[in-house]
Amino acid sequence: MAALAVALLLPAVALGLDKPFFVTLASRMLIYGLAAASLDLILGFGGMVSFGHAAFFGVGGYTVGILSAHGFDGSAFLGLFPGGDNALIVWPLAMLVSGLLALVVGAVSLRTGGVYFIMITLAFAQMLYYFFVSLETYGGDDGLSMYGRSRLPGLDLSDDATFYYVCLALLLAFLWLGRRLVASRFGMVIAGVRENERRMVALGFPVYRYKLACFAIAGAVAGLAGALAANQTEFVSPGLMHWTKSGEIMVMVIMGGMGTLVGPVFGAAVFLLLEEVLSKWTEHWMIVLGPLLILIVLFAKRGLYGWLAGRGKTS
Amino acid sequence: MTALLVLEQVLNGLQLGVMLFLLAAGLTLIFGIMDLINLAHGSLYMVGAFVAASVSQWTGSFMLGLLAAMPAAAAVGMAVEMIALRTLYERNHLDQVLATFGLILFFNELVRIIWGPRAIFMDVPEALSGTIEIVPGAPYPAFRLAIIAVGIAVAVFLYFLISRTRIGMLIRAGASNREMVGALGVDVKLLFTLVFGLGAALAGLAGAMAGPIFAVEVGMGEGVLILTFVVIVIGGIGSVRGALVGALLVGLVDTLGRAFLPTLLRLVADPATADGVGASVASMSIYILMAAVLVWRPRGLFPAHG
Amino acid sequence: MSEALLRANSLVKRFGAVMASDGLNLEVYPGEVHALIGPNGAGKTTAVAQLSGEMCPDAGSVQFDGRDVTRLSADARARAGLARSFQITSLFLGFTAEDNVAMAIQAHQGHSFRFWGNAREDETLRDPARAVLARVGLDGREDVPAANLAHGEQRQLELAMALATEPKLLLLDEPMAGMGHDESQCMVELLVGLKGKLAILLVEHDMDVVFSLADRITVLVYGRSIASGAPEDIRVNAEVRDAYLGVDA
Repeated sequence: MAALAVALLLPAVALGLDKPFFVTLASRMLIYGLAAASLDLILGFGGMVSFGHAAFFGVGGYTVGILSAHGFDGSAFLGLFPGGDNALIVWPLAMLVSGLLALVVGAVSLRTGGVYFIMITLAFAQMLYYFFVSLETYGGDDGLSMYGRSRLPGLDLSDDATFYYVCLALLLAFLWLGRRLVASRFGMVIAGVRENERRMVALGFPVYRYKLACFAIAGAVAGLAGALAANQTEFVSPGLMHWTKSGEIMVMVIMGGMGTLVGPVFGAAVFLLLEEVLSKWTEHWMIVLGPLLILIVLFAKRGLYGWLAGRGKTS
Repeated sequence: MTALLVLEQVLNGLQLGVMLFLLAAGLTLIFGIMDLINLAHGSLYMVGAFVAASVSQWTGSFMLGLLAAMPAAAAVGMAVEMIALRTLYERNHLDQVLATFGLILFFNELVRIIWGPRAIFMDVPEALSGTIEIVPGAPYPAFRLAIIAVGIAVAVFLYFLISRTRIGMLIRAGASNREMVGALGVDVKLLFTLVFGLGAALAGLAGAMAGPIFAVEVGMGEGVLILTFVVIVIGGIGSVRGALVGALLVGLVDTLGRAFLPTLLRLVADPATADGVGASVASMSIYILMAAVLVWRPRGLFPAHG
Repeated sequence: MSEALLRANSLVKRFGAVMASDGLNLEVYPGEVHALIGPNGAGKTTAVAQLSGEMCPDAGSVQFDGRDVTRLSADARARAGLARSFQITSLFLGFTAEDNVAMAIQAHQGHSFRFWGNAREDETLRDPARAVLARVGLDGREDVPAANLAHGEQRQLELAMALATEPKLLLLDEPMAGMGHDESQCMVELLVGLKGKLAILLVEHDMDVVFSLADRITVLVYGRSIASGAPEDIRVNAEVRDAYLGVDA
């Protein structure tokens, strides 16, 4: 809890100093924090090792990007849907599209388990990547530029500080809702499935339905994170849904602490910070990250948050 | 759309299938026997390609490049197995996925440091640079035919190795009961290292042969790795036979889809839409195939463990 | 004689060349305690798997409560009133004893697509959970993590979870596995207390327990039932004596 309070104080401090770059970096941390927290829902709480979560992240981003492009030139998507950049419409729509996609992907993937599940989610994510690369109308491999951020009534999102606070508000909202979800009956089922799926089946739970619902919810939230990411850079590209992005988000979750919701947010922050620092030091920073990952996996299972939280308690 | 064109694409599909088989056979064995999900398998493919490219440039001989690639990949593979992967055998799949993901990042960067960031181009060897008319009027690149031939040879070799030799028997026994085989005095650790080395050598071979066809560049392992996963999921984990069937299926579906879907769609839509939609659907075709197989057989076509 | 609650008809299950179930027939009537015994390798585990729905038979059928459940999934059978306990303890080790039973209660209370209320503070789950725990003799141990319970207590918890779903038939797979004599006695008393209230199919090795509890016994050898009837008849059955050489019956 103390760590959470510290995280809340940081933004005010960062904005006080005249370093706008930090606001951008911090916004990215919040956005990826949201994405990582959504993955934690299925990975940490549900025990489903999905290696394709970035697909939902990317699709959310593209929903915003595509609608923005259509809104700008007055055309309609597929000749039917008018474009636009009203955040109150476009952001929930991004969540809806991602959620539905997650429902479809999950419906097929969750029929399997174990390694099959990992490989299949990976494969589906790559499928979407190649699909968007082949979509010449929307930029293909080069990506799609947006003409400005989404519009929120009463707020100017093109101001980085305002945008930061909106991201923070959404992240906190998800963390709060997520906690309630995890503590609810639904959350109990998800936790039970992770602990002992065979037992849950023997008790009479139709396990598949619950896993699928959880998967769809996580996908929808990832879609929101993607929408925010698109807004932040005013650009979307297939790279948002590349499988290495899925891997990075997964690393953020593990580094921060699986099954805590808050941990992954810290994981995202540390990961992005490391990326910034290391890339200034050497352009070959990836060679450090690789073995670092292996070491984390082998030795630091509970992640940062688990480590921090564990220090204060005796159990 | 002539029959000759179809034949050419079918052969292309077989060639892709055969290369996927080389990768999938190793991966499915490693998976089935050691229960290790190894994302870095594509990196061994990449190592094979780079070593082959370098050696063939220095010596001017493609053959030497190829012959160097296999032991190089095997050596790298076994080193990695002994240093990093042994601790992962007992661990859960998530840990394995993350650790081998870390290996990919490491190898990509290492290759970038040693060979530089730009792609290397390999020439097709002189002896195989021509075409062969397998059917009168249909010349087909000799090199690609050679790849298909190599693939068939490897399939036959693996069949004999696994079902007819003592080593093969040990491999199969080690898969079903590690402890028992160890108790009987067999060095299971060594066995696993050798199996890993075999899988790595096959991957290196595939990489060396792929060199002249695709560009040799950093990250080339990832794209092919995903395809390999699709092959294994379709074929069934742990089954070399499944890897062969899956690989040929994937190779054919992907190649024929890309070649003919846009053309087929032109029958019902205007050329621009047909090409666009056709290309997009073609790129998704193997995943749709995978989904279809899974709905019918959730454990793949020939799962090794029932 | 009332209708059989659970009926297995000529179940066949092959694993390669091994016939784990070779035309197995079995009937359990409402309210009775029916023991399933047999030497090791007789196919009891396979039988239990096919009855509970974890395994699909190659041939034959299973009827429960008047319905054909042969193709019905394990969770659907559980919802229909067929509860089971596992031979190798299968609990939610990270949760407390009360959490474990509450999960079972929750399973029985309709769907769980409730995303808002806090499940751990839900009295409609916790009160019945505590009641069931008391019934099996685990009162006072509610807040202990299941992993920290003694082996015997864990077996009691297994039973509690099965009971919590208010089943019509209880499939108990060696409930006393690994228990000492005194602990076993407690468990037997518990089961005696359940007699008549629900049907119990008991897979067991301990003959004393079997003969003190069972209303009827089925003997399984090489995947088929060689004898089925009242304990006294089984005791004197020549084939059974052959199968169980040296059993002190």
